Amino acid sequence: MQSAKDTFYEVLRGRLVVGNPERTIVLRGVTRPGVMVVENELVSAVDLTDCFRLSWGESKTDVAGALPMVAMSCEIEYETAGTAANAGMDRGRMLAAMDGELLVAVRTWPQHALKNNYAGLAFGQAVKAMSTNVWWGDVVFGELTVEGERLKRAATVQVMSYQEAGEL
Amino acid sequence: MSTVGETMSPVLRRVRAYFAPVVRASETPTIFDAAQSGGFGLDCPPAPWVDLGWIDGFVRKCGTKVVALRSGAPATTQMQVRTEIEATVSFGFESWGKVQLALASGTQQMNLLKVASGAVAEGSGGTAVAAVALGSGSTATVLQVGVAAAAGFAVGELVAVDVDYVAATGFVGSGLSGAYVRSALTDVDYVRRVTLNVGRIASISATTGALTLEAPLLAGVPSAAMKVSGVVGFCDREGSSFFQEWSGLFVGEGQQGERVVWFYPRLQAMVGISEDVSASLGGYEKARLAGAFRALPVVDAVDGETVVCFRSYVAG
Repeated sequence: MQSAKDTFYEVLRGRLVVGNPERTIVLRGVTRPGVMVVENELVSAVDLTDCFRLSWGESKTDVAGALPMVAMSCEIEYETAGTAANAGMDRGRMLAAMDGELLVAVRTWPQHALKNNYAGLAFGQAVKAMSTNVWWGDVVFGELTVEGERLKRAATVQVMSYQEAGEL
Repeated sequence: MSTVGETMSPVLRRVRAYFAPVVRASETPTIFDAAQSGGFGLDCPPAPWVDLGWIDGFVRKCGTKVVALRSGAPATTQMQVRTEIEATVSFGFESWGKVQLALASGTQQMNLLKVASGAVAEGSGGTAVAAVALGSGSTATVLQVGVAAAAGFAVGELVAVDVDYVAATGFVGSGLSGAYVRSALTDVDYVRRVTLNVGRIASISATTGALTLEAPLLAGVPSAAMKVSGVVGFCDREGSSFFQEWSGLFVGEGQQGERVVWFYPRLQAMVGISEDVSASLGGYEKARLAGAFRALPVVDAVDGETVVCFRSYVAG
């Protein structure tokens, strides 16, 4: 399912950039769009604010078909303390903006994309298009929580894909 | 067509609905050719199909009866025959609009025309304000009414565009028959009351007197005989006698790019006017337009078979 996970991340990142190109983070010295996959990064003692952090949870498999269909839960956490210019008093607005950006990115039609295999990138090879699509459901927003000066939310998206022959 | 696409069951999320006119006088439906147009963009259906938006609760039922013909002792099935052909379809609209209301009601759906001062109260709208004639240069999206008349309209207002009623009987309404007049009436605005040729004003030019509509009129470029009436809302009536009929197209898009297309050349409502009320967030209730329709037959010119619906699978 790694290809499905990578593909969903790539699609979501592309759509979030379109929605708000100014949302960026600096990670390992590189400025990049404000979305990251936690398991692909160095372990950090501090959660980055004002970006979307993806992590993968429960996985279910339906084998009653020509190809196994796998559904994975993608948890998307984000938090903000607002801006220093407004002494953090805009943290509610900042979180609402992130809610909106995520909602649009997930719900933009179509809610599917051709699955790609990105494994070759590590060896200087090209991304390979696979035979099936990745598709996903609607975003489910969790409760807003307060941690000190930060407002925080976790949202969940179910991501589905067929497990192709030989796919890791 | 990929091997995978052929073997996997389509995983559908939503179904999109479209409709097109049936010429009532000749019972001629609009034909959808999936071989030519099965892959059309969902937001831009081929003419003359009109987008009805997403629907939910899409349920198809087959009422066709197959019985066995038996003979001998003991009786043994020798062959099977179809004794009845029937298909129905039901669904709920996710949005309210003139077309959705008209189709869901299944009968004549009245435009509530702006009422003249002092008009006697009527259930489906009293005597209307005099309609405005169209000038030259009008198109399906721009209505030339003149500077003086334009001042009588407002951005966001609905307008009905159709001809005056002139004591005729039969089907009336441009683009799609909106009603059947059984005996002559006296209301000059009757056709505009029942027409589906309705639009919403997006902008008004105070210098040219042009009303620009949000979307093209169903009947296309208006004729010189058509006039414009302001519409404040819509009204349908339980007990109306007219059966609305239309060609229906329903598209379910699978997640591998494949499509299932259900085409019903002729659909008529099989239930009365109702809404599907369901719980909404915050303690509210949501009223959705719901409809159930029975398919009527056509003859497939390819082989002369009499059929009521077509199901096509188009690979991605």
